[in-house]
Amino acid sequence: MERLLLTKKKTIRVNEDTWIVLFEERIDFSPGQFVMLETPKLVRKPFVLGYWEDHTAISVQVKGKGTKWIVEEAEKIKGHGPLGNGFEKPGKGLLIISPTCLTMAEAFRKKMNVDVLVGSRTPFQIPLDHETAVGDEEFLSKLSSTGEYDWYLVSGSRGMEKVCWEHLKGKEVYFSLEEYMGCGIGACKSCAVFTKEGVKHVCTDGPIFRGDELCWS
Amino acid sequence: MLELKPPLVLLSGPAGFGEYLKLMDHRYVGGVLLKTVTLHPKEGNPTPRMADSDFYVINRIGLENPGIHAFVENIPELPVPMIASLGGDSFEEYLEVARVFKKVADRFYAVEFNFSCPNVKEGGLSIVKNAEEWKKLLNTLRKELPDSFLIAKVGVEGIFVEDAAEFVMKTGWDGITLVNTVRGLHFEKDTMILGGLSGPVLKPIALRAVYEVKKRFPELFVIASGGVYSVKDAEEFLKVGADVIGVGSALFKDPGVVEEIGKYLLEVKR
Repeated sequence: MERLLLTKKKTIRVNEDTWIVLFEERIDFSPGQFVMLETPKLVRKPFVLGYWEDHTAISVQVKGKGTKWIVEEAEKIKGHGPLGNGFEKPGKGLLIISPTCLTMAEAFRKKMNVDVLVGSRTPFQIPLDHETAVGDEEFLSKLSSTGEYDWYLVSGSRGMEKVCWEHLKGKEVYFSLEEYMGCGIGACKSCAVFTKEGVKHVCTDGPIFRGDELCWS
Repeated sequence: MLELKPPLVLLSGPAGFGEYLKLMDHRYVGGVLLKTVTLHPKEGNPTPRMADSDFYVINRIGLENPGIHAFVENIPELPVPMIASLGGDSFEEYLEVARVFKKVADRFYAVEFNFSCPNVKEGGLSIVKNAEEWKKLLNTLRKELPDSFLIAKVGVEGIFVEDAAEFVMKTGWDGITLVNTVRGLHFEKDTMILGGLSGPVLKPIALRAVYEVKKRFPELFVIASGGVYSVKDAEEFLKVGADVIGVGSALFKDPGVVEEIGKYLLEVKR
């Protein structure tokens, strides 16, 4: 982990509200790790690390002032990272993700044998060499017709997590969790996750957790 | 008197157990005021535990901590002086936590007792509501830890800071941390977060608190805590008499600001 100063190289629009942001600098990270980036807001925000066009990159869903600034205005972005634990699994895996994890998927493809299913609420504006689904109906249909994999990793909205947990019951399923973070380094305890072993934290124990470890109620 | 060089501490909630030190040059950090530890371990509150807006950060962490027994068995090894922060849910718990802490008290520059956490059902704010009971507790803790530099952390709710400072002085305590977060309510979409406010919105409140206390009790040692985000903020707290500048939620925005404030304080306090 170190302090970062990232130079934005370019942005690529993925769908209605999500952009891929490429950086000039390379960050040495493991699949699943994230960075905390500073915006005009008071608290840095976490973004999972990945690649795009052979550059270190993140995917950003514009939700408010901070994310809008990253996509539209930022030239240099301060931050710290890489943070959290990397993930590596043998066998063949299926990543079930939202567009905010497209760059993460590229990091997984470099190190692991994975297929990718991307579910989006709005149409894609760039071609992708993944299985894609637009809208709930198509997503559920594609989820039902996926073949068998050794493991699954879900990274998307709470709704997507719940649907996948129900649908993939009995299988080895992992979740890359999103929870509000203050520090990303284990200091503030804001990103709590209640697991069967007690309280854990997305930033230091995750961000990836086994599904059967989590308290789903 | 507590000598910290520079007179700057990273503050308990955001500073945790010193994790942020990995991101900064230690020469510019006078010490770390550690996260509050209670008698029993606490799991903390449900999520969401934090949110931010343009002017404030709100949190309801709920004092998640490993408990005093686990803490004394596993004291952080930090490259800068440490100030412990202790809390409790009742008179008896504060006393018991002090007794357990006593065995390791010499590992710390000072110890702060948190009498103002707004995010727990018992303890915290409710302790100071009963002035007589609180004075008794201050006296008891002073006797229990006669050799420690004792600091009381108080907020602006439940008691006037000037009155709190008077109790702290009269019971032989050494210092006071002003202020804690102030109770607030924030809507995150449809979710209501009832928590403690920190960030820039807290600065004028903390400045006034330090001003009022230092005006009456110039000899009381004051750690300023509330909305320090820049060198200018630190400068203002020095003007009203703060002995030590605390940096808390600003860490969430840019830990690098600590070095700027630390450099400034080393210059002016040389």
